[in-house]
Amino acid sequence: MSDTKLFELSIADAGRKLRDGSITSTALTEDALSRIAAIDPALDSFITVTADRARTDAVAADAAFAKGIDNGPMQGVPYALKDIYDTAGIRSTCHSKLRLDHVPAADSVVESKFKAQGAVLLGKLATHEFALGGPSFDLPFPPARNPWNREHIPGGSSSGSGAAVAAGLVRMAMGSDTGGSIRGPAAYCGTVGLKPTYGLVSRRGVFPLSTTLDHCGPLSWTVEDSAIALQTIAGYDALDPASVDIPIPNYLDGLDRGVDGLRIGLPRHFFAKTEDVSAEVVAAIDSAAERLVKLGAAIEEITLPDYDLFNACGRIIMYTEAFAIHEQDYQRRPLDFGRLTHLRMTLGAFVTGADIQQAMRLRRELSRAVNLQLKNYDALITASALIPAPAFADLDPNSPPLWPIQTMPFNVTGNPAMSIPTGFSASGLPLSMQIVGRAFDESMVLRIGAAFESATGLSARRPTLAQG
Amino acid sequence: MISMPETPDEAALALEFDVLAKRAGLAIPEDRKAALFAGFKDLRRMLAMMRQPRTAADEPAGTFSIQSVTRGL
Repeated sequence: MSDTKLFELSIADAGRKLRDGSITSTALTEDALSRIAAIDPALDSFITVTADRARTDAVAADAAFAKGIDNGPMQGVPYALKDIYDTAGIRSTCHSKLRLDHVPAADSVVESKFKAQGAVLLGKLATHEFALGGPSFDLPFPPARNPWNREHIPGGSSSGSGAAVAAGLVRMAMGSDTGGSIRGPAAYCGTVGLKPTYGLVSRRGVFPLSTTLDHCGPLSWTVEDSAIALQTIAGYDALDPASVDIPIPNYLDGLDRGVDGLRIGLPRHFFAKTEDVSAEVVAAIDSAAERLVKLGAAIEEITLPDYDLFNACGRIIMYTEAFAIHEQDYQRRPLDFGRLTHLRMTLGAFVTGADIQQAMRLRRELSRAVNLQLKNYDALITASALIPAPAFADLDPNSPPLWPIQTMPFNVTGNPAMSIPTGFSASGLPLSMQIVGRAFDESMVLRIGAAFESATGLSARRPTLAQG
Repeated sequence: MISMPETPDEAALALEFDVLAKRAGLAIPEDRKAALFAGFKDLRRMLAMMRQPRTAADEPAGTFSIQSVTRGL
């Protein structure tokens, strides 16, 4: 008999056990609800726990298994959603006073896909307000905390998603990523976080932050679980203007093919000489590169345009699009936004038409530069966060924090990018790197991630708090 | 090459900040003005980076497509 606890089962493992009858969805769900009740008061990762809905979903999934009905790998598996995803009949607050009582009539496309497979919704997760302003203490709900050390931030904006997955409250949670809001929390919380290619996953029914930069994607404990989640949510949606109509591959095929013979580019200049970078982060990425070489990949240093150009381009577009979305509320009830949201989003009011056009031109140039490199390489690796998760106490509550992460470039270009753990700092906080792929080549990103994850065994280490 | 004018002095920047805020219809609370002005100066630094020589190949012509507008109708 294995000593593996229920919460430690991956989606893939749980799926096998659900199908051979050795566990039930109800057991998985009750275990998750018990863990949320016991652990989440210290983390504040959930805004709303949908216990009744979860139990109903679980009973339905068990009944389906009993009848031999199998709607897909998420059937019977608990999951949770960042609270910017619309859920019919369940409040979707965006962690904001402005949406406290908002109960959508319809599901987001992502939620409808999980529902169609018979997955089990545990609840809605904390976020930075409107996926932008945080971590804040002047909002209707407290900010989520990092399970590795609750005095530290979990990153954002998908803060609750990162915290809940790392704490073992849920195997997979959906986040959204406009400048790094999936990969940042994944980096700080030691989880996998996948931002798919722009246009692969519908954003319909997800509250927008910046429409040309927004992406939906999963955070999970393992690479395979992110592949399963992506398989569930990827696909064309005629009503999302960014959606791309392409064939969806089987993301689980080839996960175990390893990296032998692959060529991987390393834009080390992005992060290695930045004044903000931690020596531990650089050492961990260098060590990861060496490990990939030992596994058979060829790693070559490459040069991309300056990181600052990507960052400036992305931020200008993001501020502008965000301000356009919130303009009316900004003029009518500005003080109903949290202070940090207000300060950050207001910058969009100062961008002129010529400025935004220049940014869009630069965006095209930067995208071409990255994709030219990817003609010669199967993927790139680079830093996610440049330092381990900062402490709440080190942030200025009066000004929007700008902790150093280097995720924005691949929102600007739209390429798929995944943050995975590379190790731990001396202080016990997770370190990470990004794997970046060609457009719509999530399979390669996942394959490299799976090979690295398997070689390091890092997923065996959980936060002490997760042990319950 | 298109370039931004040289960075104005603090007083000129403050005036520009006030004019742009008014144009956008924003009433900025006094206790947020300093933090927002600091953000504005950082934004201005980033905006200057957008001005570089570019070719026609960099025109973001793909951002509007009648096919994408009509395909869901």
